[in-house]
Amino acid sequence: MNKKQVHILVVDDEFGIREGCKRALSEDGYQVDSANDGSAGLQKINKRSYDLILVDLMMPGINGLKLIKKVQKIDSEIILIVITGYATIESAIEATKSGAYDYLPKPFTPDDLRTVVKRGLEKRNLRLEALQLYKEREQRLLELTNEKSRLQTIIRCMADGVLVINLQGQLVLWNVSAVKMLHLTGTDKSGLSLEHYIKNKSVIKSLKQILDSQDSDCSMMTREIEVDKKGSVLMAKIAPILDKKNRILGTVTVLSDITKLKEIDKIKSQFVSMVAHEIRAPLAAIEGWLEVVLSDESREDNTQNKKWLNRAKERSHALLDLVNDLLTINRMEAGKIAQKMETVKISDIINKIVEFLMPEAQKKNISFKIHIPKDLAVIQADKADMEKLFTNLINNAIKYNKKNGKIIITVKKDESYITTRIEDTGVGISSKNIQHIFDDFFRVEDETTEKISGTGLGLTIAKRIVDSHLGKIEVKSELGKGSVFSIFLPYSPKKKKRM
Amino acid sequence: MSSKGKILLVDDDPDFIEIHKTILENHGYEILTATNGEEGLKRVRTDMPDLIILDLIMEKHDAGFSFSKEIKKDHLFKNIPILMVTSVAEATGYRFSMKEDGYWMKTDDFIDKPVKPEILIKRVEKLLSKGEENKIE
Repeated sequence: MNKKQVHILVVDDEFGIREGCKRALSEDGYQVDSANDGSAGLQKINKRSYDLILVDLMMPGINGLKLIKKVQKIDSEIILIVITGYATIESAIEATKSGAYDYLPKPFTPDDLRTVVKRGLEKRNLRLEALQLYKEREQRLLELTNEKSRLQTIIRCMADGVLVINLQGQLVLWNVSAVKMLHLTGTDKSGLSLEHYIKNKSVIKSLKQILDSQDSDCSMMTREIEVDKKGSVLMAKIAPILDKKNRILGTVTVLSDITKLKEIDKIKSQFVSMVAHEIRAPLAAIEGWLEVVLSDESREDNTQNKKWLNRAKERSHALLDLVNDLLTINRMEAGKIAQKMETVKISDIINKIVEFLMPEAQKKNISFKIHIPKDLAVIQADKADMEKLFTNLINNAIKYNKKNGKIIITVKKDESYITTRIEDTGVGISSKNIQHIFDDFFRVEDETTEKISGTGLGLTIAKRIVDSHLGKIEVKSELGKGSVFSIFLPYSPKKKKRM
Repeated sequence: MSSKGKILLVDDDPDFIEIHKTILENHGYEILTATNGEEGLKRVRTDMPDLIILDLIMEKHDAGFSFSKEIKKDHLFKNIPILMVTSVAEATGYRFSMKEDGYWMKTDDFIDKPVKPEILIKRVEKLLSKGEENKIE
């Protein structure tokens, strides 16, 4: 402590003592004040703070003992030293009991004074330091509590499940997400074994396996845990909690629900293997036909060979269609082709497609009836999409129609939609199959359709186009009689982006 | 009997039925056809073929397997050899082999589509001669 900043007060009714003390202590560099009785002393003490006060016990008015008690109340950290004659040594001891730090018997030398003051000030420093440390500790504890509550709030709000397990395998901390994911029970108490909270034995087993295999070198490990028979899958990330000496105190487990991802992954691999099969089958057929020709199964019958080569060509053409459809779907999914919304006349598109597909229809002697009102409003749509949509649907109406069949196309408008009905007199779709017709690669396969080729993606694409225009597609059908596809398209879909 | 044997083709791909039919008929076999498992089973029961050539993937993905299981558990028909043809094996990266899958596939042999005519004929002849041995036993 810098001496200049140390303030000492001498309270004594004897002028000699006051001046003597003042001189001796000032020489040492302390700031010294004096008062000639108790009440004057109190006034000074109330005005500023002192580090040390020398008090004479025997004073008129407020005596030393009273003063000590009062000062104690004002600031218990001020060091009080009692100055006393031999006669009052007992009261000096009394004063020490009431809080005075030490006493100085009269008469005393300046050195006696210095020693006592120095010791007193050292004591004061120690006390102040202790007080400071105490305050800091309080502050830290407060911060710790805040930190803890902040941490708990963060953990509570997490969508991922959190479990903290100690070395004894007891669950000491968890959050609501973990309760939901693992169906934890009995969470009103903490610190019990895992079995108390988790009823599913296989989950406990896999958790324990992960915990047991944990060693201090490994910073984190990841495992999948199957929770229930419904197929929920959790991704568990487990990390050890280490102390300063790298000893394991317990483990933190963070659980994320990856059930959806797993499903998507499964759908994706199913799609890939379906595509692979759908492509391999026609390729194998093409090669089969080529093989028959090349190994001269026809015995040099060129007409026969030509027939077989034509069969191969039909399959390769169908394969090309399939690849094109797959590319269309891929572009739609990746959003690679932005839709170009423009004013489209449905009637123009339908007439154009019917004209284009007429040769196919004529092969089966199919007739068209088209009802489109002249004042039909235009719609905002992507022209290429619309052409693809109606080509797929009208093409189906031809392909799945009977010989001498009919196709009736009716376009109507109401308040918000333009409705197109495409009705055929074809083979129809059974109620069992009708729910699947918009699925990828789904094709009705029976005697009635075995001669008809298709990719199984035409209606998938049609539905996606209609969806992307915020429209609706419906189908009604009667087996053996025909099908009706209704397409509802809004005049101007607000959404510009595809899906 | 004028033909070398009666063979049932079960395949939902009309091209393969025709390809195999052409090849086998050229080599003097009598051919029956079915485009799905159900029809195939009916054919087996009414026509008692000497050999069945079966497509693994039909309307349902496991239709070929359930068809052959059905045949192999029936005392009357279990000695009919089945030749499984498939285009699925290589495409899915999953290879079937008689050694590993034969016990549950319950088929007597299998080959990948497309089948070279001479290989098809060789396999058919081999299976039919095995069938003959079984009958003698």
